[in-house]
Amino acid sequence: MSDQGSGEPMLSVEDLSVVFRTDKERIHALDGVSFDIHEGETVGLVGESGSGKSVTARSILGLVDDPGRIESGSIRFRGEDLTETGWMDARGDIAIVFQDPSGSLNPVYTVGNQIREALRIHQDLTGRAARREAIRLLESVGISDAPGRVDAYPDEFSGGMRQRAVIATALACDPDLLVCDEPTTALDVTIQAQILDLLDDLQREEDLAVLFITHDMGVISEVADRVNVMYAGEVVERAPAGRLFSDPAHPYTRGLLASIPGVHEGGERLLTIDGEVPTPNEAPTGCRFAARCPKAFGACDHTHPDHVALDGDQSAACLLFDEDHSAPVSPGTGLPGPADTDSAARTDGGEE
Amino acid sequence: MKRLRYLGKRFLLAVPVVWLGTSFTWFAVFMGPIDPAAALVSDADPTASDKYQSIRTKLGLDQPPLQQYIDFMTDMAVFDLGRTWVVYSGTNVNTLVLDFLPQTLWLGFWSVLIAVFVGVPLGFYAGTRSNTLADYLTSFSGISWRAMPNFWLAAVVLSLLINSEALFGIEWELLGVRTGAITGNPGLGYMADNPLNLFLQPGNTLAAVKKVAPAALVLGSASMGNEIRIGRTAVMEVKNEQYIDFARAKGVSGGRLVWKHVFRNALVPLVPIITTEAFLLVGGSVLVESVFGISGMGSLFLRAAIEGDIPVLGTLMYVFILMLVGINLFQDVLYTLIDPRIGLEGDA
Amino acid sequence: MTVSRDDPRGVSQTSTGSRLLQNPKPATVWASVAAVLLGLELGAVLEFASSIALDSVRAFNGIQAVPFSVGTGALVGFERWAADLPRLLSRETVPSSGYYSTVSGEWVVGPVYFDGGQWVGTFLGLEPAHAWLVRVAVVYLYTGVGLVWLWVGYRWYRSHYRVADWTPRDDVVDRFRSHYWGLFGFAIVLLFLSTVVFGPTLAPTTNQVNNVDPYSYQIQYWNADAGAVEEVAVGNANSQSTSTGSANVGLWSYDDFGRFHPFGTMPSGQDLFTFIMYGARLSLTIGLVTIGLSTLIATSLAMASAYYRGRVDLGLVLLSDSIMALPGLLVLIMLSVVLGGTWLANVFDGGLLLALIFAGAGWPGLWRAIRGPALQTAEREWVDAARGLGQRPSTIMRKHILPYIAGYLLVYGSMSLGGVIIGIAGLSYLGLGVNPPVPEWGRAIGLGQPYIGTSSWHISIVPGVLITVVVIGFNALGDGIRDAIDPKSDTDAADTGGVDRGGGA
Ligand code: SF4
Repeated sequence: MSDQGSGEPMLSVEDLSVVFRTDKERIHALDGVSFDIHEGETVGLVGESGSGKSVTARSILGLVDDPGRIESGSIRFRGEDLTETGWMDARGDIAIVFQDPSGSLNPVYTVGNQIREALRIHQDLTGRAARREAIRLLESVGISDAPGRVDAYPDEFSGGMRQRAVIATALACDPDLLVCDEPTTALDVTIQAQILDLLDDLQREEDLAVLFITHDMGVISEVADRVNVMYAGEVVERAPAGRLFSDPAHPYTRGLLASIPGVHEGGERLLTIDGEVPTPNEAPTGCRFAARCPKAFGACDHTHPDHVALDGDQSAACLLFDEDHSAPVSPGTGLPGPADTDSAARTDGGEE
Repeated sequence: MKRLRYLGKRFLLAVPVVWLGTSFTWFAVFMGPIDPAAALVSDADPTASDKYQSIRTKLGLDQPPLQQYIDFMTDMAVFDLGRTWVVYSGTNVNTLVLDFLPQTLWLGFWSVLIAVFVGVPLGFYAGTRSNTLADYLTSFSGISWRAMPNFWLAAVVLSLLINSEALFGIEWELLGVRTGAITGNPGLGYMADNPLNLFLQPGNTLAAVKKVAPAALVLGSASMGNEIRIGRTAVMEVKNEQYIDFARAKGVSGGRLVWKHVFRNALVPLVPIITTEAFLLVGGSVLVESVFGISGMGSLFLRAAIEGDIPVLGTLMYVFILMLVGINLFQDVLYTLIDPRIGLEGDA
Repeated sequence: MTVSRDDPRGVSQTSTGSRLLQNPKPATVWASVAAVLLGLELGAVLEFASSIALDSVRAFNGIQAVPFSVGTGALVGFERWAADLPRLLSRETVPSSGYYSTVSGEWVVGPVYFDGGQWVGTFLGLEPAHAWLVRVAVVYLYTGVGLVWLWVGYRWYRSHYRVADWTPRDDVVDRFRSHYWGLFGFAIVLLFLSTVVFGPTLAPTTNQVNNVDPYSYQIQYWNADAGAVEEVAVGNANSQSTSTGSANVGLWSYDDFGRFHPFGTMPSGQDLFTFIMYGARLSLTIGLVTIGLSTLIATSLAMASAYYRGRVDLGLVLLSDSIMALPGLLVLIMLSVVLGGTWLANVFDGGLLLALIFAGAGWPGLWRAIRGPALQTAEREWVDAARGLGQRPSTIMRKHILPYIAGYLLVYGSMSLGGVIIGIAGLSYLGLGVNPPVPEWGRAIGLGQPYIGTSSWHISIVPGVLITVVVIGFNALGDGIRDAIDPKSDTDAADTGGVDRGGGA
């Protein structure tokens, strides 16, 4: 863990809203998302599919296309608001690794060709020098026989190797911030672990900042320094990783944690949250989680919760923690009402 | 090398196709309801004449069917195509094919070229601007090209050219190089001694191109429509591929992104339609060559059909089957060049 | 089971039949509209049925292989009787041919108006063009009402009688309704179909009079020189109404005999519109028979592939590959020459032979298109379950596989129908299709070709444009149905192998 909170953040997303228009409706894919990333740290973004994680990644890279549009908010990278200046200058300084390694590489060009393309744009390397560097990069991501592999086509690589090649290509851009959008989800378990180790090593060697996006709480606990939990296009809780896992505040985070096998002692039962992430097609009137929330109470349906700062750099967007609203202590749940937010909620570490 | 093995396999697969197609042709011609010998004799009672008997003997119709079949197939295999009976009576079909094939190849070549170099860019253009007015217009024009009957289009284009002076103020015949007449054969004779004359004598080449250009346009029209449609879809699909986003994230932009990453990949689905087009070309050549008065394989086939020279019909069919299978193999070669994935995962 | 919305107990005991008894009103209204619509055209329906029967009997008698023949006397009598029944949509109800007269006894021919003049013999004394327009309007109005009747029937069935509140088919219908390109195709196809059905009514005259036997029919016209109404044989009138560039009766004009020609006349003076109407009938009939036959072949073979797989499938792949490797139009030409002299070539003026040849060359494309879906469907669990229950292979295929490939059949059937229409026209253009003088669009194009550059351009251009529009319509309809059935399908499967282009014609 590197020290966070010191100085200006490298990337600062503020109040970001992205809307997708279809014939019939406007879908608020992101609704007021804010978070920061500092030099050299790993920030996790976690949530179910459909919660807006990938849209966040694409927004940061400037890859939101029709019918989507960034409606409001800013994405400041090293002080420049990319939504105003455009992404062209930041390309390469921010690189991305997508979920599906077989889709990230153009199948009709060799891996080396695609790495050299990035080297030419960002490091002005061409010819033999580019080739040597491409081989070095492939070696650095752990591809054996890199000189022999550099002229191979992506389809001649296995899934894990392809993801390594994708990472090599991303590194060829000489990035300061690496956005990893579910980089291990498509891979099988042993390869997942290898890729996670690789990313960890690279981050330390190259002093990268990493935005790590996943739906997998288990993975996030291994890699992230700080975590943002997303639900239906909003960040509902943010906390340092340790704190999030020991003292989750938002009922949704608790649900997520409870659904990881083996996190709690009596973990023979896999608790999943009922229902699905709603499609946010209109501006919220209440809490978007209300329909699935086990702690929902009267105010939840008509008051949109704002972030409430809690102890230890943690905050949650839940009315349970909002002093202005009071709810009855739900009987038999073990979770306190809003009156005693700090004591019980902090100590029992999630659902039983 | 894997790709060579793949090509070899495709080649082997072509053999039974040629064999079955030729056998079918033999059956239709020699075992069909029409006595090919009788059809060649124009007498009132053909079977009574001496000529009929002599033709029967020459065609080997007195032999048992199996023997006939074997003879026919071996003749075809060694490219002994026999002689004609009615069309250019008594000519060796091999010579006839050599005489007529160049015009057809020349026409086919230019029609493919026109179709590809007009259709693909238009399709790509429509795909890059999907759902704009320009896209709708281009797509609709593609659909119309596909729906217009070749023979009708040929007739219309021809009369437009004949009346070009009244309609456009410029006489087509005088435009650029002079060709002598609007219809008729392209003058390819200048290449007979030295094929390099194609480049050495640009005047002759231009004249020969101009001569077939209208016919080539008509012949390629349906393929052009196909290419517009498929090119458009291909570009729209490739645009949504993740590697395009990845390349953009890498900082590739503008023309380089479009040309290197989008278009190259969008070419892949365009390759298989070459075969489809070959069928349209071969079928269409019959009609277009007749309308434009080009003595090519198509018009030869049609004459043989109309004049009842059924044995020649059969041998010409064999030549056409070979041409189509050849084009099919050419497509496979092209495929392996454009898409490195071919041959890597078994049969693609 | 599905729970009916109207049944408060929520028990699944209602059936369509009992719902019908509970609420018979919509059904009654619907049925009476049907009766009225049918009643207006009963004569036509009976005449059509008897003419089909008659044609079939004649075709059957044409088969020389069969030693006996069937008498046609009774059928001919019935057809005559049916033809005399009154009906709403006919040339007799809204006549559009007549001659022009003035009350004062001054007679003028053609479109020239004289004050106080009037047309004799036309509907309400209207000018023939207007009378013809009225008839056209009545025909399409009738079609439109019929369509509304069908749609309302479907909606009522859905809301009043069907047990299920929702079925996947509803979504297909809804998706199609918002697919504008498909709707455009649907409109064109519908227009084409109603034109074909009512072609004889729409046409200014009949094919018999116009084309087959023009010298046996007389018309009355006003002879301006003689100053009297005279009679002339249609054949003679035709020969003075030719369109050959120098002489011309163009689009939307009258000839010297006061006859109105919506599309002008042909080189030898026949009415082009009538020719096209009857040609459309022929193209569509051959097309439908072709599609029917190739669908039959393709479906049975696809189901055999799906059920037996392995060697059966492989053999079929090889067979269809070889057929598809043959150049389509050339095979059509070769077969129509080779089979040209046989009795088959005389059935329906050669139409049956064409349909057989097209079906024989066309089924592999169709089979290719539905083989995949059929194989997929056969992999589903319930097919295995049915097999486990001991159902017979044919039953399994019919009940479980067929419904799932029916949609694909519709799509590819629609798309290849356009190709067949082009192909037939191409063969007729070459003089190889149906026997002359049977009207065919390709023949009209061929006849008019020498005059494209002259004022008589309409003879070739009109049928060519019509073919193009109809083919576009069928393709668009196919696109629409495909997207409605399977919204995620590959947009442009180019695997129809040129079927949709009539083999390059
Ligand atoms: S605001 Fe209410 S519904 Fe939303 S998470 Fe908190 S308790 Fe649950």
